[in-house]
Amino acid sequence: MPETGMSEAISAAAADVLETMFFSPVMAEAALDEAMSAPALAARLRFSGGREGTFAVRISTSAAESMAANFLGEETEQPASGQVQDVVCELTNMLCGSVLSRLDSKAHFDLGHPELVDALEAATPDSVSRAFELGDGAVAVFLHLDAKP
Amino acid sequence: MAYSVMIVDDSQSMRKFVRRVMDLSGFEVGSCWDAANGADALALLRTHPVDIILTDINMPEMNGEEFVAELERQDVYRSIPVVVVSTDATENRIRRMIEIGARGYVVKPFSPEALRGELERVLGVANA
Repeated sequence: MPETGMSEAISAAAADVLETMFFSPVMAEAALDEAMSAPALAARLRFSGGREGTFAVRISTSAAESMAANFLGEETEQPASGQVQDVVCELTNMLCGSVLSRLDSKAHFDLGHPELVDALEAATPDSVSRAFELGDGAVAVFLHLDAKP
Repeated sequence: MAYSVMIVDDSQSMRKFVRRVMDLSGFEVGSCWDAANGADALALLRTHPVDIILTDINMPEMNGEEFVAELERQDVYRSIPVVVVSTDATENRIRRMIEIGARGYVVKPFSPEALRGELERVLGVANA
């Protein structure tokens, strides 16, 4: 699968999911190094079906907290850390589903459950990555497709 | 008319979000119950009948596909319309869920208008 198509799918999915579900529009594409520099939360899942691979999201703590408040409709209270983690997992799930559907709408995919991982472990080797500035911080997305058997 | 609704999703945050979006959309919710998987939802339905069910697919213990199939197997629940709310927008998945009994399908991300439109379409079909 061409890397360009994967990058475009990630960008389109990120813009759609972040604005529609988390009310956090993408301000601009960000440099991956910058997105990886701030304290962050990360989640990762495995998927199988039409293609197998790994999908991960790394989001700065400040952006994750803001996004969780938007998602949960908490206008006055800061979401608890467990709620923020739950929202990061949901973000990972939604982004992955959206990206895979864009890559091949006729394929069948099974998504595993997103799990929180150390932020340093979000980036897997040989993954296609994109980063986005959200205003309150940045989010980086990593897609790795396993080699076909 | 206010509808009695059940939201089935293993993410508590997602259940809360779906409820909030229903309110934002203007869809009238009377009572609202929620469950973390299909098995919990079936247990809840025994004592809390609802007008419509919204369910995720990817859940532990009893996933959305097993849940919809089980609702179809039981006469008492077969008439309750089910709308799948999922990240999976692949044609095969949507077709499969409709084949086993789901009446509607909403792909995440979705707008309040899209959710309300699908709920009303499905309830309209069910009430026809």
